[in-house]
Formats: sequence, structure tokens, C-alpha cells
Amino acid sequence: MSESSTCQSCLALLVDYVDGQLPDDVRAKLESHFHDCQPCEDFLATYRATASVCRKALERTIPESVAAKLHAFIRDELCNKSKA
Amino acid sequence: MVPSVPTPAALPKALDAPTGSGDGARAVTTVEDSVLLVRAQAGDVSAFEQLVERHQQKVFAMASRMLRSDDDAAEVVQEAFLAAYRKLPEFRGESAFGSWVYRITANFALMRLRHRKVSLTVEEPDGAPNFNERGSLIDDVADWSRDAEEQTLDAELRKAIDGATAKLPEDHRQVFLLRDVEGLSYEEIAQVTGDSLAAIKSRLHRARLAMRAAIDQFYAERAG
Ligand SMILES: [Zn+2]
Repeated sequence: MSESSTCQSCLALLVDYVDGQLPDDVRAKLESHFHDCQPCEDFLATYRATASVCRKALERTIPESVAAKLHAFIRDELCNKSKA
Repeated sequence: MVPSVPTPAALPKALDAPTGSGDGARAVTTVEDSVLLVRAQAGDVSAFEQLVERHQQKVFAMASRMLRSDDDAAEVVQEAFLAAYRKLPEFRGESAFGSWVYRITANFALMRLRHRKVSLTVEEPDGAPNFNERGSLIDDVADWSRDAEEQTLDAELRKAIDGATAKLPEDHRQVFLLRDVEGLSYEEIAQVTGDSLAAIKSRLHRARLAMRAAIDQFYAERAG
């Protein structure tokens, strides 16, 4: 980022930024841009929130029937094996 | 009826322990996994069954997300636990049993996805922000982060996210799920997918943009 930071150049670095992987000088430039740019700051907040919201949305529970079948399967396989 | 389970050697290189595999809470009231593991290694079938019971939820959830099918997930979980049982003598307890079986399941799920893959999707996911010629962000950006993170999730939002995940190109979807939902490290993802770090990060970013855009659209429509 030799030229002045633009929204585009800053948002392109978000993966490393949210991981805390950017060199200090680059990170400082980004933060200074975000500080002065409300759209980018809002974009960053929602970019960060996306993972946790998706984690909640994509929760899955094992159905009772699947658990029951799994147990029957395991018992079957293990008992057959120990007899074999 | 013996399912085809690859030999340990045929498995992709094992992942290291995913972060926060969440076994800690149970240890207070019940026998430790490590104790059950020793018993299972000595041939105690019921000890292994208890381990299955403890970890089935987490591994099923992951397989179901990866495969987008409860039926396929159920089969993969069976394969994974069986493979884990057969590999018990090799397990040296360097990681928790939970993360070990989790990695085995992830490997099986990815192998199944590879077999399933009929056509290679080459398109990029939507959702990239728009800039003007000077590189300034020109989208209307609303900050819904607090709303989305604090409230119990709206059923419609859940549906929107599920739909957006389904629309991601397969390779982007895998990286997004493994990193942002399952919490694997980049190194672990590189081990299972065989992709470079740069490719993984680039897909992750695009996938996040697409998922962010889907949530953004949900809130924009709701604000109407
Ligand atoms: Zn900006």
C-alpha cells in the first residue's frame, strides 16, 4: 500500500487483519482508515460477525433415529469383531 | 454388511486438534475420556460405546454441514467411529479422543465430497462489495452485527444463511465451514484439502463476503 489507503485496498486485507496477521505498519494504516470511514467500519463489524452468526444458523442436532442406528451399528460391528 | 472403510494409510493426512473441541465440561461429572479410551483399547466395548455417545453430536453436526445431508452424515459418522475403533491401538493420546475422531470424520466427509463432485464449479461467489473508480466503498452499509450476534436467530435468517451456504461453490464452502464454523487452523485445512495457504485465504474471504452479503440482504429486506 504505497499510495494512500482506499476502502478497496483495506477491505482486501480483511482476512489477515481479523486474524491479527498483518505487519504493524499495515495494520495501523487500516485502522486509521476504518477510524475515518464509517462504511468500512460497519463493513468490518459485519464481516467479523458473519462467522458467529453462521455458526448459530448452521447448528445441527443428531436425530434420535440416527443416534439409535449408530449405536446398533457400533454394537453389531464390535461384537462381531470380538467374536471373529 | 461391512461398509467400505479405507485403511488408515488411505486416509488423508490427519489434522491436528481443532480448537476448542469442547470436551472439558463433561469431565466433571463423568469418567474422563482418557479412562474410557484405555478401557476401550483393552477391548471394553461398552467403554467405546460411551465414547461414541459423548462425541456423536459434534461429529454428526460437522458431517451434516459438510455434506448437506443427514443421511450421508449418518453414514459418514458410522464409518468414522468404526475406523476410530479399528485404529484404537494406534491412538497414542497426544490429542483428545474427541478431536481425533472429529478429524477422522472430517476426512471421511471430504473424501465423500470428492467422490460426489460431478462438475467442478469455477464460478466465483457473489457478494463482493462495490467500489467507485477511486476505490471508495459505494454500497449502503448497515451495521447489523450486534443485532445478529445477540438475538436468538430468526428462523428466516437461518433459512437465508442455509441457502447462501448451499449456493457457495463447493471449494469455497468447504473452506468457509472448516475455518469459520468448525474452527480448524489454516494448516489443518491445507492438510485435508491439499490447497495452498493463499488459495485457502482467498476462498475464505470470498465465501465470507458472500455470506455477509446474504445476511446483509436479509436485514435490508426486513428494514424494507
Ligand atoms: Zn473506507
